[in-house]
Amino acid sequence: MVLLKLYWSFLLIGFGSFGGLSMIPQISNQVISNGWMTVNEVTDIVAIAEMTPGPLGLNCATFAGMQAAGIFGAVAANLGVLTPTLTLCALAAICFQKFKDSRLMQRILVGVRPACFGMVLGVLISLSMSNYISAGTLRLPSLAIGIVDSVLLLKYKISIPKILLLSCGAGLILFGVLHLA
Amino acid sequence: MLEFLRFGVFTFGGGWSIIAQMQQLYVEKKKVITSQELLDLTSVAKSLPGTMIANVAMLYGYRVGGILGGLTCVFGMCFPPMAVLIAISFAYNAFRQNPWVHAAMSGMQAAVVPIILCAALGLAKGSVKYPPCLLVVVACLGIYLFTSVNPVLLVVLGVVSGLVISGIYERREAEKHGAA
Repeated sequence: MVLLKLYWSFLLIGFGSFGGLSMIPQISNQVISNGWMTVNEVTDIVAIAEMTPGPLGLNCATFAGMQAAGIFGAVAANLGVLTPTLTLCALAAICFQKFKDSRLMQRILVGVRPACFGMVLGVLISLSMSNYISAGTLRLPSLAIGIVDSVLLLKYKISIPKILLLSCGAGLILFGVLHLA
Repeated sequence: MLEFLRFGVFTFGGGWSIIAQMQQLYVEKKKVITSQELLDLTSVAKSLPGTMIANVAMLYGYRVGGILGGLTCVFGMCFPPMAVLIAISFAYNAFRQNPWVHAAMSGMQAAVVPIILCAALGLAKGSVKYPPCLLVVVACLGIYLFTSVNPVLLVVLGVVSGLVISGIYERREAEKHGAA
Protein backbone atom coordinates (compact mmCIF):
# COMPACT_ATOMS: atom_id res chain seq x y z
CA MET A 1 0.00 0.00 0.00
CA VAL A 2 2.73 2.38 0.96
CA LEU A 3 4.41 1.65 -2.37
CA LEU A 4 1.30 2.67 -4.30
CA LYS A 5 1.01 5.78 -2.21
CA LEU A 6 4.64 6.68 -2.86
CA TYR A 7 4.15 6.13 -6.57
CA TRP A 8 1.01 8.25 -6.62
CA SER A 9 2.49 11.14 -4.60
CA PHE A 10 5.55 11.35 -6.79
CA LEU A 11 3.46 11.00 -9.90
CA LEU A 12 1.58 14.13 -8.82
CA ILE A 13 4.88 15.89 -8.13
CA GLY A 14 6.16 14.88 -11.56
CA PHE A 15 3.13 16.11 -13.47
CA GLY A 16 2.83 19.27 -11.41
CA SER A 17 6.36 20.54 -11.83
CA PHE A 18 8.92 21.44 -14.41
CA GLY A 19 12.05 20.13 -12.76
CA GLY A 20 14.74 21.69 -10.65
CA LEU A 21 14.10 23.87 -7.65
CA SER A 22 10.48 24.43 -8.68
CA MET A 23 9.77 20.93 -7.41
CA ILE A 24 10.80 21.55 -3.82
CA PRO A 25 7.58 23.07 -2.44
CA GLN A 26 5.52 20.23 -3.87
CA ILE A 27 7.95 17.56 -2.71
CA SER A 28 8.04 18.92 0.82
CA ASN A 29 4.25 19.14 0.89
CA GLN A 30 3.79 15.53 -0.09
CA VAL A 31 6.52 13.93 2.01
CA ILE A 32 5.71 15.90 5.15
CA SER A 33 1.95 15.40 5.00
CA ASN A 34 2.49 11.68 4.51
CA GLY A 35 4.94 11.53 7.40
CA TRP A 36 7.79 10.18 5.27
CA MET A 37 10.20 12.96 6.19
CA THR A 38 10.42 15.81 8.70
CA VAL A 39 10.95 19.45 7.73
CA ASN A 40 14.60 19.23 8.73
CA GLU A 41 15.13 16.13 6.66
CA VAL A 42 13.66 17.89 3.65
CA THR A 43 16.14 20.74 4.04
CA ASP A 44 19.02 18.29 4.35
CA ILE A 45 17.95 16.19 1.42
CA VAL A 46 17.69 19.24 -0.81
CA ALA A 47 21.29 20.08 0.11
CA ILE A 48 22.43 16.50 -0.48
CA ALA A 49 20.43 16.18 -3.68
CA GLU A 50 22.18 19.26 -5.01
CA MET A 51 25.62 17.90 -4.15
CA THR A 52 25.17 14.41 -5.55
CA PRO A 53 24.79 13.46 -9.19
CA GLY A 54 21.35 13.30 -10.71
CA PRO A 55 18.42 15.65 -10.88
CA LEU A 56 16.89 16.99 -7.72
CA GLY A 57 13.48 15.41 -8.23
CA LEU A 58 14.86 11.91 -8.66
CA ASN A 59 17.16 12.29 -5.69
CA CYS A 60 14.36 13.46 -3.41
CA ALA A 61 12.19 10.61 -4.65
CA THR A 62 14.90 8.08 -3.88
CA PHE A 63 15.47 9.48 -0.44
CA ALA A 64 11.82 9.76 0.56
CA GLY A 65 11.14 6.29 -0.84
CA MET A 66 14.02 4.82 1.16
CA GLN A 67 12.73 6.44 4.34
CA ALA A 68 9.20 5.20 3.79
CA ALA A 69 9.68 1.70 2.42
CA GLY A 70 13.31 0.84 1.68
CA ILE A 71 14.67 0.09 -1.77
CA PHE A 72 11.30 -0.85 -3.27
CA GLY A 73 9.96 2.44 -1.96
CA ALA A 74 12.78 4.25 -3.73
CA VAL A 75 11.99 2.45 -6.98
CA ALA A 76 8.26 3.20 -6.67
CA ALA A 77 8.87 6.89 -6.00
CA ASN A 78 11.32 7.16 -8.90
CA LEU A 79 8.86 5.53 -11.28
CA GLY A 80 6.29 8.05 -10.11
CA VAL A 81 8.52 11.03 -10.87
CA LEU A 82 9.43 9.51 -14.23
CA THR A 83 5.88 8.77 -15.33
CA PRO A 84 5.40 12.12 -17.15
CA THR A 85 8.62 11.43 -19.04
CA LEU A 86 7.61 7.90 -19.92
CA THR A 87 4.17 8.93 -21.15
CA LEU A 88 3.83 12.59 -22.17
CA CYS A 89 7.39 13.06 -23.24
CA ALA A 90 7.44 9.81 -25.20
CA LEU A 91 4.39 11.05 -27.10
CA ALA A 92 6.04 14.41 -27.63
CA ALA A 93 9.16 12.67 -28.94
CA ILE A 94 7.11 10.80 -31.52
CA CYS A 95 5.26 13.94 -32.64
CA PHE A 96 8.38 16.05 -32.68
CA GLN A 97 10.30 13.68 -34.93
CA LYS A 98 7.29 13.48 -37.25
CA PHE A 99 6.70 17.20 -37.60
CA LYS A 100 10.13 18.68 -37.14
CA ASP A 101 10.71 19.14 -40.85
CA SER A 102 7.34 20.76 -41.49
CA ARG A 103 7.33 24.44 -42.44
CA LEU A 104 5.30 25.45 -39.42
CA MET A 105 7.63 23.65 -37.01
CA GLN A 106 10.65 25.22 -38.69
CA ARG A 107 9.14 28.68 -38.21
CA ILE A 108 8.31 27.99 -34.58
CA LEU A 109 11.83 26.76 -33.91
CA VAL A 110 13.31 29.99 -35.26
CA GLY A 111 11.93 31.65 -32.12
CA VAL A 112 12.14 28.76 -29.68
CA ARG A 113 15.87 28.25 -30.15
CA PRO A 114 16.88 31.76 -29.08
CA ALA A 115 14.36 31.60 -26.22
CA CYS A 116 15.97 28.44 -24.96
CA PHE A 117 19.42 29.92 -25.43
CA GLY A 118 18.36 32.95 -23.37
CA MET A 119 17.31 30.57 -20.64
CA VAL A 120 20.68 28.82 -20.69
CA LEU A 121 22.38 32.21 -20.28
CA GLY A 122 20.01 32.98 -17.40
CA VAL A 123 20.89 29.73 -15.65
CA LEU A 124 24.55 30.51 -16.21
CA ILE A 125 24.30 33.93 -14.59
CA SER A 126 22.22 32.86 -11.61
CA LEU A 127 24.51 29.88 -10.97
CA SER A 128 27.60 32.11 -11.12
CA MET A 129 26.05 34.32 -8.49
CA SER A 130 25.24 31.46 -6.15
CA ASN A 131 28.40 29.40 -6.68
CA TYR A 132 31.04 32.11 -6.50
CA ILE A 133 29.51 34.64 -4.17
CA SER A 134 28.49 33.79 -0.64
CA ALA A 135 27.11 36.31 1.85
CA GLY A 136 28.12 39.21 -0.37
CA THR A 137 31.77 38.28 -0.78
CA LEU A 138 33.53 36.61 -3.67
CA ARG A 139 34.72 33.08 -2.92
CA LEU A 140 38.18 33.27 -4.45
CA PRO A 141 39.15 29.57 -4.26
CA SER A 142 35.93 28.58 -6.04
CA LEU A 143 36.47 31.29 -8.62
CA ALA A 144 40.02 30.05 -9.19
CA ILE A 145 38.76 26.51 -9.80
CA GLY A 146 36.14 27.93 -12.13
CA ILE A 147 38.67 29.87 -14.17
CA VAL A 148 41.07 26.94 -14.49
CA ASP A 149 38.18 24.68 -15.51
CA SER A 150 37.03 27.16 -18.15
CA VAL A 151 40.48 27.28 -19.71
CA LEU A 152 40.79 23.49 -19.68
CA LEU A 153 37.34 23.05 -21.19
CA LEU A 154 37.46 25.75 -23.84
CA LYS A 155 41.09 25.73 -24.83
CA TYR A 156 42.18 22.14 -24.28
CA LYS A 157 38.79 20.45 -24.82
CA ILE A 158 39.13 18.27 -21.72
CA SER A 159 36.08 16.05 -21.27
CA ILE A 160 33.47 17.02 -18.70
CA PRO A 161 33.81 13.97 -16.43
CA LYS A 162 37.56 14.62 -16.21
CA ILE A 163 36.87 18.26 -15.35
CA LEU A 164 34.57 17.17 -12.53
CA LEU A 165 37.16 14.75 -11.14
CA LEU A 166 39.86 17.41 -11.30
CA SER A 167 37.64 19.93 -9.55
CA CYS A 168 36.77 17.36 -6.93
CA GLY A 169 40.50 16.92 -6.25
CA ALA A 170 41.05 20.67 -6.22
CA GLY A 171 38.20 21.03 -3.73
CA LEU A 172 39.72 18.41 -1.44
CA ILE A 173 43.05 20.25 -1.47
CA LEU A 174 41.81 23.85 -1.26
CA PHE A 175 38.93 23.37 1.15
CA GLY A 176 39.90 20.15 2.93
CA VAL A 177 43.67 20.38 3.38
CA LEU A 178 44.26 24.13 3.26
CA HIS A 179 40.94 25.08 4.88
CA LEU A 180 40.25 28.00 2.59
CA ALA A 181 36.69 29.15 2.91
CA MET B 1 23.23 3.36 -23.25
CA LEU B 2 26.60 3.13 -21.53
CA GLU B 3 27.15 6.76 -22.37
CA PHE B 4 23.98 7.67 -20.54
CA LEU B 5 25.14 5.72 -17.50
CA ARG B 6 28.19 7.94 -17.57
CA PHE B 7 26.07 11.08 -17.90
CA GLY B 8 24.07 9.89 -14.91
CA VAL B 9 27.20 9.56 -12.81
CA PHE B 10 28.46 12.99 -13.74
CA THR B 11 25.30 15.08 -13.58
CA PHE B 12 26.25 17.58 -10.99
CA GLY B 13 24.44 20.85 -10.77
CA GLY B 14 21.19 19.88 -12.38
CA GLY B 15 20.12 19.03 -15.87
CA TRP B 16 22.08 21.70 -17.67
CA SER B 17 25.39 19.95 -17.24
CA ILE B 18 23.86 16.93 -19.03
CA ILE B 19 23.14 19.23 -21.94
CA ALA B 20 26.78 20.29 -21.80
CA GLN B 21 27.94 16.68 -21.87
CA MET B 22 25.66 15.88 -24.77
CA GLN B 23 26.95 18.93 -26.61
CA GLN B 24 30.53 17.77 -26.08
CA LEU B 25 29.95 14.12 -26.93
CA TYR B 26 27.14 13.96 -29.49
CA VAL B 27 27.46 17.30 -31.25
CA GLU B 28 31.19 17.97 -31.28
CA LYS B 29 32.78 14.54 -31.09
CA LYS B 30 30.42 12.02 -32.66
CA LYS B 31 28.31 14.45 -34.67
CA VAL B 32 25.13 12.41 -34.15
CA ILE B 33 23.01 15.54 -33.86
CA THR B 34 23.59 19.24 -34.54
CA SER B 35 23.68 21.89 -31.85
CA GLN B 36 20.39 23.18 -33.26
CA GLU B 37 18.76 19.81 -32.71
CA LEU B 38 20.09 19.69 -29.18
CA LEU B 39 18.53 23.10 -28.49
CA ASP B 40 15.25 21.86 -29.96
CA LEU B 41 15.23 18.79 -27.75
CA THR B 42 16.07 20.91 -24.72
CA SER B 43 13.22 23.31 -25.41
CA VAL B 44 10.71 20.50 -25.81
CA ALA B 45 12.03 18.81 -22.65
CA LYS B 46 11.85 22.02 -20.67
CA SER B 47 8.28 22.72 -21.69
CA LEU B 48 6.93 19.33 -20.60
CA PRO B 49 6.22 18.44 -16.98
CA GLY B 50 8.64 16.17 -15.15
CA THR B 51 12.38 16.22 -14.77
CA MET B 52 14.08 18.02 -17.61
CA ILE B 53 16.99 15.65 -18.05
CA ALA B 54 14.85 12.55 -18.04
CA ASN B 55 12.82 14.24 -20.76
CA VAL B 56 15.95 15.10 -22.72
CA ALA B 57 17.12 11.50 -22.39
CA MET B 58 13.76 10.28 -23.69
CA LEU B 59 13.76 12.70 -26.64
CA TYR B 60 17.35 11.97 -27.61
CA GLY B 61 16.90 8.22 -27.19
CA TYR B 62 13.80 8.28 -29.37
CA ARG B 63 15.58 10.36 -32.00
CA VAL B 64 18.41 7.82 -32.17
CA GLY B 65 16.71 4.51 -31.47
CA GLY B 66 12.93 4.78 -31.27
CA ILE B 67 10.86 4.11 -28.17
CA LEU B 68 13.24 1.42 -26.92
CA GLY B 69 16.14 3.81 -27.33
CA GLY B 70 14.21 6.39 -25.32
CA LEU B 71 13.52 3.97 -22.50
CA THR B 72 17.13 2.79 -22.36
CA CYS B 73 18.44 6.32 -22.19
CA VAL B 74 16.02 7.28 -19.42
CA PHE B 75 16.93 4.27 -17.31
CA GLY B 76 20.62 4.67 -18.06
CA MET B 77 20.44 8.24 -16.91
CA CYS B 78 18.44 7.53 -13.76
CA PHE B 79 20.03 4.40 -12.45
CA PRO B 80 23.39 5.79 -11.22
CA PRO B 81 21.96 8.67 -9.19
CA MET B 82 19.43 6.31 -7.66
CA ALA B 83 22.11 3.82 -6.67
CA VAL B 84 24.27 6.59 -5.21
CA LEU B 85 21.41 8.06 -3.21
CA ILE B 86 20.35 4.67 -1.87
CA ALA B 87 23.90 4.15 -0.65
CA ILE B 88 24.01 7.64 0.85
CA SER B 89 20.72 7.26 2.65
CA PHE B 90 22.25 4.43 4.68
CA ALA B 91 25.11 6.61 5.83
CA TYR B 92 23.13 9.81 5.77
CA ASN B 93 24.39 11.42 8.98
CA ALA B 94 28.02 10.57 8.41
CA PHE B 95 27.76 11.93 4.89
CA ARG B 96 26.08 15.14 5.88
CA GLN B 97 28.68 16.12 8.44
CA ASN B 98 31.87 14.90 6.82
CA PRO B 99 34.12 17.90 6.02
CA TRP B 100 35.94 16.00 3.25
CA VAL B 101 32.69 15.35 1.46
CA HIS B 102 31.90 19.04 1.68
CA ALA B 103 35.33 20.00 0.38
CA ALA B 104 35.04 17.69 -2.62
CA MET B 105 31.52 18.85 -3.36
CA SER B 106 32.46 22.53 -3.18
CA GLY B 107 35.18 21.85 -5.71
CA MET B 108 32.75 20.20 -8.11
CA GLN B 109 30.23 22.95 -7.60
CA ALA B 110 32.81 25.42 -8.83
CA ALA B 111 33.04 23.42 -12.06
CA VAL B 112 29.37 23.66 -12.94
CA VAL B 113 29.48 27.20 -14.32
CA PRO B 114 32.41 26.56 -16.70
CA ILE B 115 30.66 23.40 -17.90
CA ILE B 116 27.44 25.23 -18.69
CA LEU B 117 29.43 28.09 -20.24
CA CYS B 118 31.02 25.56 -22.55
CA ALA B 119 27.58 24.26 -23.56
CA ALA B 120 26.25 27.79 -24.04
CA LEU B 121 29.08 28.67 -26.43
CA GLY B 122 28.40 25.53 -28.42
CA LEU B 123 24.67 26.15 -28.53
CA ALA B 124 25.05 29.81 -29.51
CA LYS B 125 25.90 28.87 -33.10
CA GLY B 126 22.58 27.31 -33.95
CA SER B 127 20.32 29.64 -32.06
CA VAL B 128 20.13 32.88 -34.05
CA LYS B 129 18.85 32.58 -37.61
CA TYR B 130 17.66 36.14 -38.22
CA PRO B 131 18.91 39.27 -36.40
CA PRO B 132 15.69 39.81 -34.38
CA CYS B 133 16.32 36.44 -32.74
CA LEU B 134 18.95 38.22 -30.67
CA LEU B 135 16.14 40.27 -29.16
CA VAL B 136 14.41 37.06 -28.15
CA VAL B 137 17.61 35.89 -26.44
CA VAL B 138 17.90 39.14 -24.49
CA ALA B 139 14.20 39.22 -23.60
CA CYS B 140 14.20 35.64 -22.30
CA LEU B 141 17.40 36.20 -20.38
CA GLY B 142 15.89 39.26 -18.70
CA ILE B 143 12.61 37.55 -17.93
CA TYR B 144 14.40 34.50 -16.57
CA LEU B 145 16.64 36.53 -14.27
CA PHE B 146 14.24 39.15 -12.98
CA THR B 147 10.94 37.33 -12.71
CA SER B 148 10.00 33.86 -11.59
CA VAL B 149 7.71 32.94 -14.46
CA ASN B 150 7.37 29.36 -15.54
CA PRO B 151 9.89 28.43 -18.27
CA VAL B 152 7.00 27.15 -20.36
CA LEU B 153 5.94 30.77 -20.87
CA LEU B 154 9.37 31.56 -22.27
CA VAL B 155 9.00 28.72 -24.73
CA VAL B 156 5.55 30.04 -25.69
CA LEU B 157 7.09 33.47 -26.21
CA GLY B 158 9.65 31.76 -28.44
CA VAL B 159 6.90 30.03 -30.45
CA VAL B 160 5.05 33.30 -31.07
CA SER B 161 8.15 35.30 -31.95
CA GLY B 162 9.36 32.48 -34.18
CA LEU B 163 6.14 32.60 -36.18
CA VAL B 164 6.26 36.40 -36.44
CA ILE B 165 9.96 36.69 -37.29
CA SER B 166 10.01 33.94 -39.90
CA GLY B 167 6.75 35.27 -41.31
CA ILE B 168 8.33 38.67 -41.89
CA TYR B 169 11.60 37.35 -43.27
CA GLU B 170 9.99 34.79 -45.55
CA ARG B 171 7.72 37.46 -47.03
CA ARG B 172 10.70 39.73 -47.57
CA GLU B 173 12.57 37.03 -49.38
CA ALA B 174 9.53 36.24 -51.49
CA GLU B 175 9.24 39.94 -52.43
CA LYS B 176 12.89 40.07 -53.39
CA HIS B 177 12.40 37.12 -55.68
CA GLY B 178 9.26 38.72 -57.07
CA ALA B 179 11.12 41.98 -57.82
CA ALA B 180 14.01 40.17 -59.45
